[in-house]
Amino acid sequence: MRATVSAHVHFMIDSVFLFFERLSGWCVSMLGQRAETVLFLLRYLIPAIGLAVLLRCLISLFREGSRPERWGRLVLSGDVTLPLTHWENTIGRGRSCDIRVDVPTVSRSHGALIRDSGGAWTVYDLSSRTGIEVDHRKVEGSMPVQPGQVITVGGLDMVFMPMSEDEERIQAESRRYRYQPVSQGFTLFLLTMLQFCFFLSFLLNPSEPADGRILFGFFGLTAVTWAAYLFTRAIRRRAFEAETLALLLTTAGFAVCATSAAYEMMRQILFLIAGVVLYFCVGAVLRSLRLVKKLRIPAAAAGLALLMVNVVFSEKVLGAKNWLSIGGFSFQPSEFVKIIFIFVGAATLDRLFTKKNLFLFVGFAAFCVLALVLISDFGTGLVFFVTYLIIAFLRSGSVGTVFLSVGGAVSAGLLAISVKPYIASRFAGWRHAWDFPYDSGYQQVRAMSAAAGGGLFGLGAGRGWLETVVAANTDLVFGVVCEEEGLVFGLTLILAVILFGVCAVAYAGRARSSFTVICSVSAAAMLIFQMTLNVLGSMDILPFTGVTFPFVSRGGSSLIACWGLLAFIKACDTRQNASFTVRLPKHRRNADADDDVRIYERGSETGND
Amino acid sequence: MTKIKRRSAVLLILILLLAMGMGIFLVRYFRNGRQWAAFSANRTAYTDGVLKHAQITDRNGEVLLTMEDGAYRYSSDALTRISTLHATGDRYGNIGTGANVVFREYLTGYDVVNGLYRSDRSGSVALSIDAELNRRAWQALNGRKGTVAVCDCDTGEILCMVSAPSFDPESPPDSVDVPEYEGVYINRFLSSAYTPGSIFKLVTAAAALEQLPGAGDRTYPCDGSWEIGNDAVTCMGVHGELSLRQALAVSCNCYFAQLAVDLGGETMEKQAAAMGLTEPVFIDGIPSARGRYVASAETLDTAWSGVGQGQDSVCPASMLRLMTAIANGGRAVELTLLRGGSGAEGGRLLPEKTAEILAELMHNDVVASYGEDLFPGVTAYAKSGTAEVGGGVAPHAWFVGFGRKDGRTLAFAVLVENGGYGSSAAGSVASDVMKAAFGG
Repeated sequence: MRATVSAHVHFMIDSVFLFFERLSGWCVSMLGQRAETVLFLLRYLIPAIGLAVLLRCLISLFREGSRPERWGRLVLSGDVTLPLTHWENTIGRGRSCDIRVDVPTVSRSHGALIRDSGGAWTVYDLSSRTGIEVDHRKVEGSMPVQPGQVITVGGLDMVFMPMSEDEERIQAESRRYRYQPVSQGFTLFLLTMLQFCFFLSFLLNPSEPADGRILFGFFGLTAVTWAAYLFTRAIRRRAFEAETLALLLTTAGFAVCATSAAYEMMRQILFLIAGVVLYFCVGAVLRSLRLVKKLRIPAAAAGLALLMVNVVFSEKVLGAKNWLSIGGFSFQPSEFVKIIFIFVGAATLDRLFTKKNLFLFVGFAAFCVLALVLISDFGTGLVFFVTYLIIAFLRSGSVGTVFLSVGGAVSAGLLAISVKPYIASRFAGWRHAWDFPYDSGYQQVRAMSAAAGGGLFGLGAGRGWLETVVAANTDLVFGVVCEEEGLVFGLTLILAVILFGVCAVAYAGRARSSFTVICSVSAAAMLIFQMTLNVLGSMDILPFTGVTFPFVSRGGSSLIACWGLLAFIKACDTRQNASFTVRLPKHRRNADADDDVRIYERGSETGND
Repeated sequence: MTKIKRRSAVLLILILLLAMGMGIFLVRYFRNGRQWAAFSANRTAYTDGVLKHAQITDRNGEVLLTMEDGAYRYSSDALTRISTLHATGDRYGNIGTGANVVFREYLTGYDVVNGLYRSDRSGSVALSIDAELNRRAWQALNGRKGTVAVCDCDTGEILCMVSAPSFDPESPPDSVDVPEYEGVYINRFLSSAYTPGSIFKLVTAAAALEQLPGAGDRTYPCDGSWEIGNDAVTCMGVHGELSLRQALAVSCNCYFAQLAVDLGGETMEKQAAAMGLTEPVFIDGIPSARGRYVASAETLDTAWSGVGQGQDSVCPASMLRLMTAIANGGRAVELTLLRGGSGAEGGRLLPEKTAEILAELMHNDVVASYGEDLFPGVTAYAKSGTAEVGGGVAPHAWFVGFGRKDGRTLAFAVLVENGGYGSSAAGSVASDVMKAAFGG
């Protein structure tokens, strides 16, 4: 029975492939001489549309959106009101405090007022000189605080007035009304046009007969693109910039896969679906900080276990032992540990006060990097290490700690190089690739030559030769993109990844929790740094370490994990109804929404003073 | 939160590092892209290591070599093929300095906007050489080994460049390991260095003009040989008491040997270096062979070095460049094998005064020794050399110099291996080629 079903499926798939190949044949005969003209135009259309998508995402990210969220206020005597704009607020005299109380009796960093994802507030004393009281009872360490209670800081009384659920709903309505994003559907339409351009390029490719798998692959890509968007709309989320950028990169990745490994196109679609699903799963977890706290230890344990298994059982592929094969399906555990790494590394403000938490993370990071060095995956080890530095700095703010880490890592790195001849050889040819075009510089010089051969607009999708070089569709992917789609499109992809970072920094100030800031900034850092290593490594400006270009390099683990990381980047986007990872107030049918909006407007004006 | 927000700017450091790296990449991409694209593994430009579509012509547009889908097609005329082989290069890249290798970046059809897109739009390079001059030079060499080169002293274009032995690339010899084809893949003009013989007396003379006051009036006696210890520097004749002018005209060994000893080996070495004879000449980025002069503590060695014998060697290319410098008042022109040339200055090799005196002396050589009928209608300046190579074979014959006619100044360097007497063996070759070059 199963055999017949699978035979049916195969037959159907083959028919689909055949259909696309017939379509191609028909189009080519229809167009005749004009096919070359179409291809000529496509060379310019692909980078142009790519840039347009990028630009629309950029504008959308920076269009004046909704004002910062309010979570309550502290009312002082004399009608002075201090707004609470985050879930985590520090109180003190220091200039970087969220609630600044410039009174000599208040310590520089006095205390903190923190809301959890359930709406419960807690006040923390950060070993201040004069202490904190709630309703004139001294706070030892921390104490829950209820609406209407009086918090006394350095002798100053403040009435704690958090927003009620109703107020939160009204605020959400108002912010939603004010925040009108750039049409995400139209941007996605442009992206679909881009995918169609690639489809046409492969359909009309004069150097190779059209391949049904490739054509169907792009068809599937468009389907997944719109499915992800429609799902996002269905759950009442309107911002799709980061996802669009990721899909833009994924589209380039599909083009690379099509030119280098057409037989993998079907799998690539499955990987993309898995990635998008993982994206929503990680996002769902991030919605609740309570859940995050519960999951952190199990996640860390799972990460350690994955790496341990990796060290013991993995296979050696091209020098690095980072592949794990289970039942015919091979994957790179280290890619998934990236998600766990950031998940474990990020922390809410209350946990940042205790050094113990930081040390636990340091231990976890050290283990991860060590494990990766043991399996000779030097590049990924470096990516983890730099991400660790970013997280350590975000958590401690201490440059000293970071320098110490760098010193330690450099000596460890030198040790690794002296022990592993494979790593040393990669350094030996660095910056001298052209002196060794047939051994240590083999891949890089070919990548550079192909990239130059493509010029600004490329030779056309599917018409390059670099794909035949080892690891072209992973380590040398920038060369492949530059060769076939041109330098302009290659730079567009780099800018797309940089935009992730710009997103993270831009929204960090409006985030609810430090957890989400650390998540998004470190995930963006990880993607950017990994891309830096990939691109500059293949162009012989940095040592060639063989890491992947996020979303673009072929490979299931990498693609899926990158989509997982994308959820982190969305975590601090608090524009109204923008991000799936940010929870909305509980839904309520409200006939008088407009009145409520006006009430909120007035309320915020007084709050603004 | 405000703190964390500020710290998040650390991400900008990463972005900045990336931007710096990309900046370096882009500079290299736009500066070196042409070279990158011309890498022989680039399959858009090459089929099996052979350029897909390319053409090399001479300065008048005569097609010397066409590369089409992996095949080489040379000129239909065998004499042209043979005489321009070292300029165009061979199918297998054995001649490392051929235009098919050196100028391949211009032959790929690369441009910075389109890269190699449509590499069927053939890349074409017009060389500075004139195929007709090459044919004449090849015929003048008449089967002897050696090299003939002519260049324009104003533009630096090399108009004639022949290296012998050569072969017909359409029917290459089965084996080149026979005496007939000795060093056949070497472009003797560019990549070899020979004992200079008497042409090196120009260096000794220049050193004297610069270092010794009143050098022009300085006289030395010549009685057929000059004895140093048990050895002697011998001369071709018994010239008696000679001035510099007379000595150069008769190419007296005794005179220049004594002059070199008086100048000292160190001074001679410096002069040879200043005149660019001991460093490579770069022609379109390709370095020539370097000549050699080693200062010796032995008087005999220094004496012989002053007449261009013993340890001395020079590359024909650097000799040709020296001729352009003497013709141009001390400033050499940058030599090129591309039509058009740049006329860029190739460095000052001599002070203007010295260059003028040397030119006058060389003109006197032609008038007094070689005969002006060697270059009819041309104001000619020359020096011959007969370089003893030992081993009982005939000496190498050199003839270098330049000529002016109708506002053009052309320099030449001729070397005939084992050709015998310089002014007769090499001089007649130079005569033939210069007649043709000046519109014969």
